[in-house]
Amino acid sequence: MDNKDRVERFSGSARFAHWGHTVTFLLLLFTGLSLFTPALGKFFAPLFFGHVNASLIHKIMAVGFTVVPLVALAINFKGFIAWWKDVFSFGMNDVKFLMKFPLEFFGFHVEIPPQTKFNGGEKMNSVVTTTSCVLLALSGYVMWFKAAFPLWLVQWCYPIHGICMILATCMVCMHAYLGSFHPGSGESFWGMWKGTVRSDWAAHHHAKWYDEVTKS
Amino acid sequence: MMTKKMVFVDTSLCTGCKACSVACKTWNDLEAEKNQLITSYQAQASTTHNTWTYISMHEKYENGKMEWLMFKHQCYHCAEPSCMKACPVEAIYKTESGYTLIDQEKCIGCGYCVANCPWSVPKTNPELKKTFKCTGCIDRVENGLKPACVYTCQPGALHFGEPDEMKQIAKARLEEVKKDHPKAQLYGENAMGGTTYLYLLLEDPEFYGLPENPTTSASLVVWKDWVQPYGIWLIPLAGAAAIGSFFSTRIINSINKSKGGSFHG
Repeated sequence: MDNKDRVERFSGSARFAHWGHTVTFLLLLFTGLSLFTPALGKFFAPLFFGHVNASLIHKIMAVGFTVVPLVALAINFKGFIAWWKDVFSFGMNDVKFLMKFPLEFFGFHVEIPPQTKFNGGEKMNSVVTTTSCVLLALSGYVMWFKAAFPLWLVQWCYPIHGICMILATCMVCMHAYLGSFHPGSGESFWGMWKGTVRSDWAAHHHAKWYDEVTKS
Repeated sequence: MMTKKMVFVDTSLCTGCKACSVACKTWNDLEAEKNQLITSYQAQASTTHNTWTYISMHEKYENGKMEWLMFKHQCYHCAEPSCMKACPVEAIYKTESGYTLIDQEKCIGCGYCVANCPWSVPKTNPELKKTFKCTGCIDRVENGLKPACVYTCQPGALHFGEPDEMKQIAKARLEEVKKDHPKAQLYGENAMGGTTYLYLLLEDPEFYGLPENPTTSASLVVWKDWVQPYGIWLIPLAGAAAIGSFFSTRIINSINKSKGGSFHG
């Protein structure tokens, strides 16, 4: 495929943040589940040579989970702002996307109005996942350094950490599937892996964004 | 079978001699710790992984006179302990005698119990990665002896026996001390399903820095009774939806293809 037929979708820093979070999040999830309930712990803890090692890995990964987005932010703050500008430009086309997408998700053909760089679903994913990640990190550090915080706050961080873990993991399940094996996902995986996508795919799935990119 | 036991802590008779603390350390082989003056003649701020019981001293001033009120801190051995509910590895359990114990083999020192005890009694040893607290001297009690603190108490502020007998003594003592201390009350009977250590206080619990009505915190109920048993099922549900979609998209696509249509990609 000729390079002319491809458009850049994700910058190096965005891809670094994405895949850095993929690795740290999954390790955090599996080590964290070993401390979630006794039953899950019996399955997950042995994978990390016991609960004590699992919580050590959890803490190391927690630092990575915090540092990765901060590094990406420092490298490419403009890209971060552009991402959130698009997310909060939530319009009628995004609402229509969210209403019609459940049918498309299970394989029915639907007409979806032109989308910006991030479609309605990706915008929702951005909001829910980012909020969960921020709350996971904050509540995690409170529990880690519990002596520095009031007891009521430490106590509430346990359910908050659990709720955010569940929300984020549900989003990750959907996100991973939609970005890979869903028939409609097409080029989206390569957008995050190589950074570029096929022009005709971009024009079809993100018409508004494609027009902007090709005009300039 | 071991019957339920109870310790009655009559704070009105406590002289703050701290012999209970020493006896506890001796019997349980706990290292002495360097500490410093906190307030009054009190040199221990809280329980630690090496100090399972200590006396806090509270100076009460009335009509130009000072009175020392004492309080003995240790695990209350609740009937429905928050620490046990919070433990992620089921290391905390109840004995027939009513005691709440930590199985040190299972304990991973995560500190979930530390954060969820209403009195912050258990404490984690960061080097051993194990959490410790008063065992109620279960090893003595199960062999027919009194707990070390009760055995050593000189002014007779500690009583050990059957719950009915202890409650009887407590009520009689309450009537007695109420003459001089109108705010005197029993503490523990209604806390956390009832505690094994029952207290006679000379003032409101707040005066001693104690929670008035210790209950299982709302956060623990949300966490353990809602999020963990029900919330977690959202994850397999999301996974199932993805798997369902994987097959339904392909089935619908092949039907469309056989009809001559095509699926956009």
